Amino acid sequence: MNKKKAIIMLLILTMISGTIFGVAQEESSAYKIGFSKIVTHPALDAVEQGIVDVLAEEGLVAVYDYQNANGDLTAAASIAQKFRADKVDIAIGIATPTAQALANSITEFPVIYAAVTDPVDAGLVTSYDKGEGNITGVSDKTPVDAQIKLLIDVTGATTIGHVFTSGEANAVLLKNLAEEACKKYGVKFIATAVTNSSEVKSAVQAIAGKVDAIYISTDNTVVSALPSVADAATYAGIPILSADPTSAEGLDILIAWGFDYYKMGRRTGYLVKDILEGADPADIGTVFMTDPSDFELWINLDTAKKINITVPSEVIDAASVVIENGVKTEK
Amino acid sequence: MIEGILVDGLIFAVMAMGVFITFRVLNFPDLTVDGSFATGAAVAAMCITNGLGIFPGLLLAFASGAAAGAVTAVIHNRLKVPNLLAGILTMTMLYSINIRILGGRANVALLRVDTIISNVIKIGGSLPREWTLLIFMILFTGTIKVLLDIFFHTDLGVTLGAMGDNEQMVISQGVNPKTMKILGVGLSNGLVALSGAMLAQYQGFADANLGVGMVVQGLAAVMLGEFLFRSNKIGMLTIQVILGAILYKALMFFGRYYGYYINLTPSDLKLLTGVLVIVSLVIAKTRENIGSKKWGIK
Repeated sequence: MNKKKAIIMLLILTMISGTIFGVAQEESSAYKIGFSKIVTHPALDAVEQGIVDVLAEEGLVAVYDYQNANGDLTAAASIAQKFRADKVDIAIGIATPTAQALANSITEFPVIYAAVTDPVDAGLVTSYDKGEGNITGVSDKTPVDAQIKLLIDVTGATTIGHVFTSGEANAVLLKNLAEEACKKYGVKFIATAVTNSSEVKSAVQAIAGKVDAIYISTDNTVVSALPSVADAATYAGIPILSADPTSAEGLDILIAWGFDYYKMGRRTGYLVKDILEGADPADIGTVFMTDPSDFELWINLDTAKKINITVPSEVIDAASVVIENGVKTEK
Repeated sequence: MIEGILVDGLIFAVMAMGVFITFRVLNFPDLTVDGSFATGAAVAAMCITNGLGIFPGLLLAFASGAAAGAVTAVIHNRLKVPNLLAGILTMTMLYSINIRILGGRANVALLRVDTIISNVIKIGGSLPREWTLLIFMILFTGTIKVLLDIFFHTDLGVTLGAMGDNEQMVISQGVNPKTMKILGVGLSNGLVALSGAMLAQYQGFADANLGVGMVVQGLAAVMLGEFLFRSNKIGMLTIQVILGAILYKALMFFGRYYGYYINLTPSDLKLLTGVLVIVSLVIAKTRENIGSKKWGIK
């Protein structure tokens, strides 16, 4: 028994001493880049991939450390510790809590945030126009106002429903933005909250009788349950506008209008490149996705037919993807 | 880096002491922890951002955690439901309450406000940040440990411990076990919430999902501590918990750090936590068997 214990203690001691005396990580000219992701999620993974692809295309040699907190927010601080110990060249926080933990403990090298909706509200920076010391990044705020307006224009809705996750900071922010937009355009706004993806379907059913259209933001939890939103809403004959086109494929979503997270990842990649090449994060303001080419507008005419809605021809003309008779046409 | 693990572990140890009180002293497996940890973080964050101050924030965090624990005990006492269920009920309700506390938001940042952590760093002056924090956390967690030791030496504390061993015995002494449970589970969750309040300031934010998976991690820390050495003195037991918490954080850190060599991805760490608890249980079981053989007792 004691022998076993001794062996285990010895193992632990070797590990500890190894780190105290600095395990020699191979020194090379490659950049060390650390990713701290809150959870594995298609959109967040796409951001990571976008960054890696851009840096590879630009010929920057880098080794990546992909860390993931598994939704356990207490792990976010440990990941920041690890990056400090590893002396990475850049730490990238994907999603709000992981970015906050990096920003809170790292001062010696640049911290970049991605997929954070409102970095000022998250306390990462104090202004959108410049970075904060070693911190800057890319926001994934979608044009909520324009999305709500399009939804009203196409469907003539007077009451818009919304499902959001109460535990997701970004989702709560987007809900508030949607509420403001509805007020601005004089339509009623009915929001209902969920705590996990299994509640989404019944949430949609609960508001289906009261609303003319449903708006879905880039809420991670709700988007992952998008099939059940589409199913319940179409059954009730209600049109949906989703802010995440990538996940709309194959679903009865009348309008999907937003940007691709992969493109946002690519945008972040260029930011990373600039900083690796010497740009000062303090000089760089939060990057917003505003370029029209970043956005995709999907119109599903099959869904329109099912729920008896006529989509104005100018909207169809503006769309980048039109789905008609089960065929997806990209323009 | 080692100092970072120690700071992390010492904050975590306060939570683990709470888990130790319910699981080990009271024999009341309590799952309120997943909710009360975030409650502590939320209360402290709101006190700090609304200018009520850091110390009132910590005190209120402790009080709100204690209240949450008391609710669990009352549900268990009054409705005669199993303690596990009572804990799950409170934990579930706390999710909504925590978001209310955070003012309808899911996340409140503490990045650019004065917190206990930033103040300590300021006091530390030219000392490296993590080492200053380490000294502070040793004092902080050490004080809580000593206070707990003193408490468990008072009549009340001894009764609490006795109840975990043999509820019938304390009843025959004329003590109401229900009151004891409210007190014990309250104290436990107060510590958990205090730990949450410290972590929120250390990490720079309070979040509605902060407590997810806390109970199991706390339990893993308690069991790892027990594996280190054997004792039945409360002073040594609390040291076990603190060492266990640090060891747990260190193992998780090394899992992240070296796991890569054995193809362990970060998403495997939860599996590692579970395996740690099981291994500790197996070791404890074998020890028991060896012990009974050696001494001829069952």
